[in-house]
Amino acid sequence: MPKKFLLPLFLAVALVFPLLPFANDYVLHVVTLVMVYMVLAMGLNVLPGFCGLLDLGFVGFYGVGAYTAGLLTVHYGVSLWIMVPAAVLNGALWGVVLGAPTLRLSGDYFAIVTFGFAELVVLFLTNEIWLTRGPLGLPGIDPVSVDLSFLNPAWIYEFEGERPYFYLGLAMLALVYVTMRRLEDSRLGRAWLAIREDQLAAASCGVNIYAYKIIAFGISAGVGALAGCFFARWTLFLSPDMFKFWESFLILCMVVLGGLGNIHGAMVGAAILIALGEVLRVVLPQLGLPNEARFLVYGLIMIFIMRFKPKGFFPKIAAAGEANPLIKRLRAQLEQHGGTSR
Amino acid sequence: MLEQQLVNGLTLGVIYALIAVGYTMVYGVIELINFAHGEVYMIGAFLCVTFITALGLPFYVSMLLAMGCAAGIGVTIDRVAYKPLRASPRLAVLITAIGMSIFLQNLAMIIWGSRPVPFPQDAVPAYLKETAFTFSGVHLTWLQLFIFAVTFSMMLLLYVIINHTRMGTAMRALAQNRTCSQLMGVNVNRVIAFTFALGSSMGAVAGVLVAVYYNTLSPTMGYVAGVKAFAAAVLGGIGSVPGAMLGGIVLGIAEALGAGYVSSLYRDGVAYAVLIAVIIFRPSGLLGKALVEKA
Repeated sequence: MPKKFLLPLFLAVALVFPLLPFANDYVLHVVTLVMVYMVLAMGLNVLPGFCGLLDLGFVGFYGVGAYTAGLLTVHYGVSLWIMVPAAVLNGALWGVVLGAPTLRLSGDYFAIVTFGFAELVVLFLTNEIWLTRGPLGLPGIDPVSVDLSFLNPAWIYEFEGERPYFYLGLAMLALVYVTMRRLEDSRLGRAWLAIREDQLAAASCGVNIYAYKIIAFGISAGVGALAGCFFARWTLFLSPDMFKFWESFLILCMVVLGGLGNIHGAMVGAAILIALGEVLRVVLPQLGLPNEARFLVYGLIMIFIMRFKPKGFFPKIAAAGEANPLIKRLRAQLEQHGGTSR
Repeated sequence: MLEQQLVNGLTLGVIYALIAVGYTMVYGVIELINFAHGEVYMIGAFLCVTFITALGLPFYVSMLLAMGCAAGIGVTIDRVAYKPLRASPRLAVLITAIGMSIFLQNLAMIIWGSRPVPFPQDAVPAYLKETAFTFSGVHLTWLQLFIFAVTFSMMLLLYVIINHTRMGTAMRALAQNRTCSQLMGVNVNRVIAFTFALGSSMGAVAGVLVAVYYNTLSPTMGYVAGVKAFAAAVLGGIGSVPGAMLGGIVLGIAEALGAGYVSSLYRDGVAYAVLIAVIIFRPSGLLGKALVEKA
């Protein structure tokens, strides 16, 4: 089947999926969760995948987005459609504030600062009880509603059950997917890839490394906050425990599994790891192991992928450079003449 | 009160320094943040307890054995996870290090259970619990004195190894330029393995000391301590061994004072805040490269 039919096919399957007989609430819940993590994985992918920067605190932005949404809803009853941009902007703002001073330094420092930031976010959410109710969590977030009652008093629809959230999640996933694909092929994306491959070369070709890295961090943080926003209005309950380092690690593992810098890979990675998590949640107690032991598997996945398949399990089928016959021939010639293969 | 806080902070600080040395040495030699180091520290403490309870060995012997085992674990981690990736991009090794850390932490959780366990009290020599000195309201226990004695002798040993042995010279050479030291006949992989062994055994000692000091140990202890020790290493200037010692002590005191006078809820936050502040305002650390040679 030609490749161009693949995407519409996926979309059609996704649209019909909730109407199928086996799609009960549990299945829909898991699939929606997969979509949330797909969005998160795509958001994280911008940094280690496109720019070659390790972000260990991605969940911090997820938490910022979720709590922004949760608090705005609980205290002010803000509608989702106003809140989404607010939460995304808040996440992106934190990304820029954190990135501006640290992105001048080497990547190792960046990784550590993001880690510290995410830990501080959790500490803040846990200890500022007057704002977030701390470890008790934040209940009573209103579900999403579409309020068009100013046009017609009957046009008001409140989301109930998993099905409407599935479609909302799908819309979010589609939006982020399209944005990421467009970004990847844009001037911005090319600049990022150039930075990832060789900073010095990129800089000498006129790429403003610092600026592009900050943009990347802002976008990544914004996408994280978007997913958090959806998550808050979907689960209707937030607690600081949901945003601990484990989550960052899980998302990073998804990106690594799918192949760094590969948007489709990140999505497949998210689907696999969430499915694996659901399976392990049933299997582990039967083996008498604590539920956290599933991270043992994730850790192993990471070590082995980096060791044996650093491009992930789903490497780009045809990266532009690999498919180009001219580049292929040049490489073959170079190897023939004993030059380096890179 | 203030003096007591200072003494407690200093005790904590020298332990952080002991862990931080492991981070900083590995970073100096192969420029890698060895996230798994915190886990080696935790496993060291658990091994010591296991030797005491399962084999009935005395405290000091178990501690030495735990040191030896931790050295072996450190070398194994390097062999299995990092060595195959020496030529890979930095990002790949960093991700492996994170994976290794999570793997070890959960392995420990499966072996020893996820709940905190107390340190076997009857194995610890009784006099360690007693107050050694009291002057102007400050209590100093024998245990604290023991911690100071152990850490300072370890630091002295480290100083001698780095500055006065062939291996130490090779380590310093490697830190400056790997290719060049290889050309001068340094067996690079052996030196790296030695660095891991040295750092890991010091981490294990720190783990045992903390477990005795707080009378508790858990599989997650390595995570927080690892970050704090890393913060100490960065504070002192990563790659510099004296810097790591200084950074550890400063961080320990800052943390004790912060918990005592600002808010005990943000006790762990002090380390993160210091870390971020140092990286933003003075990335070379207190004893940055300009002042201290990489060791």
